Amino acid sequence: MQSSPLDLAQQLKEQGYLIDEESVTTLFLSLALEKPCLIEGPAGVGKTQLALALARTEKRRLIRLQCYEGLDLNKALYDWNYAKQLLRLQLAKTEEWNEIKVDLFSEEFLLTRPLLESILSPEPVLLLIDEMDKSDEEFESFLLELLAERQVTIPELGTIVSKTSPIVILTSNNTRDFSDALRRRCIHIYLTYPTLEREISILKSQAPELSDRLAKDVCEFVARVRKLPLQKLPSVSETIDFARALNTLRKETLNYGELMGTLSVLLKYPKDIAKLEERLENWKVEASQRR
Amino acid sequence: MDGWNFIKLVHALRRVSVSISSQDILNAQVCLERFPDILDKQILKSLFIHRPQDSSIFETIWRILLENRESSVQDYTGEGTVKTVLEETEDRFGIGGHGAGRGSGGVSLTVKGNILSSSQITDLVSFSRLEEMISNGLEFEEIVQTILVEMDYYTWINSNDLAYQRRQLSEDTWYKHQDSRSSLIQEIRQRVMTAQVTHENSWEPLARQHWLIKPLSTLTEEEKDLVKSSIQKWARKLALSPGSRWKTSRRGSIDISRIIQKSVQSDGNIFYLSYRQRIPRAPELVVLCDVSNSMAAFVEFLIYMVTCLRVRFRKIRVFFFIDSVWDVSDFVWDNDLDGVKQEIKSWGRKASSGFTDYGVVFRELAEDKLRNLSSRATVVILGDGKNNYRPAQTEYIAQISSKVRNVFWLNPLESEELNEPDNVMIEYQKYCTKVYRCRSASDLQRVVKDVF
Repeated sequence: MQSSPLDLAQQLKEQGYLIDEESVTTLFLSLALEKPCLIEGPAGVGKTQLALALARTEKRRLIRLQCYEGLDLNKALYDWNYAKQLLRLQLAKTEEWNEIKVDLFSEEFLLTRPLLESILSPEPVLLLIDEMDKSDEEFESFLLELLAERQVTIPELGTIVSKTSPIVILTSNNTRDFSDALRRRCIHIYLTYPTLEREISILKSQAPELSDRLAKDVCEFVARVRKLPLQKLPSVSETIDFARALNTLRKETLNYGELMGTLSVLLKYPKDIAKLEERLENWKVEASQRR
Repeated sequence: MDGWNFIKLVHALRRVSVSISSQDILNAQVCLERFPDILDKQILKSLFIHRPQDSSIFETIWRILLENRESSVQDYTGEGTVKTVLEETEDRFGIGGHGAGRGSGGVSLTVKGNILSSSQITDLVSFSRLEEMISNGLEFEEIVQTILVEMDYYTWINSNDLAYQRRQLSEDTWYKHQDSRSSLIQEIRQRVMTAQVTHENSWEPLARQHWLIKPLSTLTEEEKDLVKSSIQKWARKLALSPGSRWKTSRRGSIDISRIIQKSVQSDGNIFYLSYRQRIPRAPELVVLCDVSNSMAAFVEFLIYMVTCLRVRFRKIRVFFFIDSVWDVSDFVWDNDLDGVKQEIKSWGRKASSGFTDYGVVFRELAEDKLRNLSSRATVVILGDGKNNYRPAQTEYIAQISSKVRNVFWLNPLESEELNEPDNVMIEYQKYCTKVYRCRSASDLQRVVKDVF
């Protein structure tokens, strides 16, 4: 357990994750209170990476549940091994019904899914419920018991309580709102695009091969691009890819006139690329006037 | 943090619709005691704020309660003169202020045309002037606008925009000006809010400024984004909810594979029939938007809502109108609304007098477009019902109403405004399935639930 938010920030930094002061304080408090942490923010700002870095920091095994539309308990919590149950029934023709009916719903026939795995795990784990906003509301309601009590209920087996109290991190791209009940059970962090200085530090730590000049140029350029009214703003991971692409092309600095062909690494929609290309012309003129 | 301030903070947050449970309070107390090195504000914000959109309201309340008190008291007793706080900066010669009047003799932003720092902004508005306006019965937005006019804000931003368009300003400098504008407005709003809260000795003024409740036409850019993101969420929820589309059976079709799977749990006996999941209904939607100037603030959100909802409908047609109808179904499917706004502007100039005429519009629809609509279609009209003293021609809306399944009218006006002499809403009302007030984000939320 870390002694302060600063301590936690330092440990995360050692794992390659640079976090701002406000977020690390909130994360620290959620760990101290043993409450789940709900991390929201646009795609690509490092929500999942934060959970991964935290798992390494805490030296916990990571169990990840990727959410999607239609995710149900059979995929998230448990299922019965029907094939095995059928085989057991075939072998049990000679046995008494009273003897086998108990067996069929014992742990032997239980298939554990990520949520149950995190509850049953004998060693401490970090449970990452990723992109929670993609799941349905029914699933969200089901999670309340797990988040508040660290326990799940399986009708055939009863209530199973966690032995090691997993750290629970939920992430969301904010495409749908969550119920008050879920929010109340979590501590909330909103991650957004990093400041220029922090993005330069992130870039340097993730891509140490870049020259200082190129790293600074790229981050300044991306910060400028994020001010444009685009359909999807470039994420931190796209900044890193973009900088690496320029480095691969042996660019020492970022020159507005030499970016054609590389912009698709940064932006994902043709309409956004066209908008940026149009703006680049103005920026080129401005840059030449400054010189 | 002393207990009295803590209680006041919790009370204020609850008053402005931030939900704080007893468990939150207990957690806060534990953390305040266990971690004295962490700032109180950070602890309380982390534990009390569960939604990103509540963050700014926390900041406002914190500032009013705990940061502003002493400085405010000093300010409040001030002699009421506005200090000139602008200092000369690198672009000291300004960018073409037009020398417009300086209101009540206060500071003029156009004098030097420079960029303000946040500390300078705080000294711009005197508390006594604010009190005077509040005592005169001015509403929040009116006070903000008055202050902006008095400091030549609009001349200042227009000259900046003009300079940018003429390339006299670099893009970076222009962005800095944009930031200054929003800081300035934010600061003014903050101070007006503080003054109103002090004057009324209640948190009611702050509750009234909640983005869900305040009129759509007065939203700030930040709040507009909040509303849009909420619309997106409501629409998504709606698109996933089951509807009442016609099926072979009331409960849907039988799902054989699920029945077999479930029967294994009961020794191969079929106890329950499983049905396929229902699919969202997909009817036809026709949206009519009045895009005259008075409606501009509301149309933006309705179009955004329709854009988000398009997965739910088999067919959507969107018409804009002022005094004639224009089919824009091909324009509105982009989340970027700039293109649509541009289209409205250019079309408005070319093909319209600028004065709404509902009678002519409904006639055009009934005569030219009605035959293409299905009898199961839902028509949604967004308009204020102001007909500029032109004939209502109700026979045409009656014709439309009899042809389609439902006609819903979303009107941004308050009910008493519908009785104004140039408003024909009362006459049209009887041909509508329902008329909704659609003035704020919460109204919009209700419409999304009821209509779609």
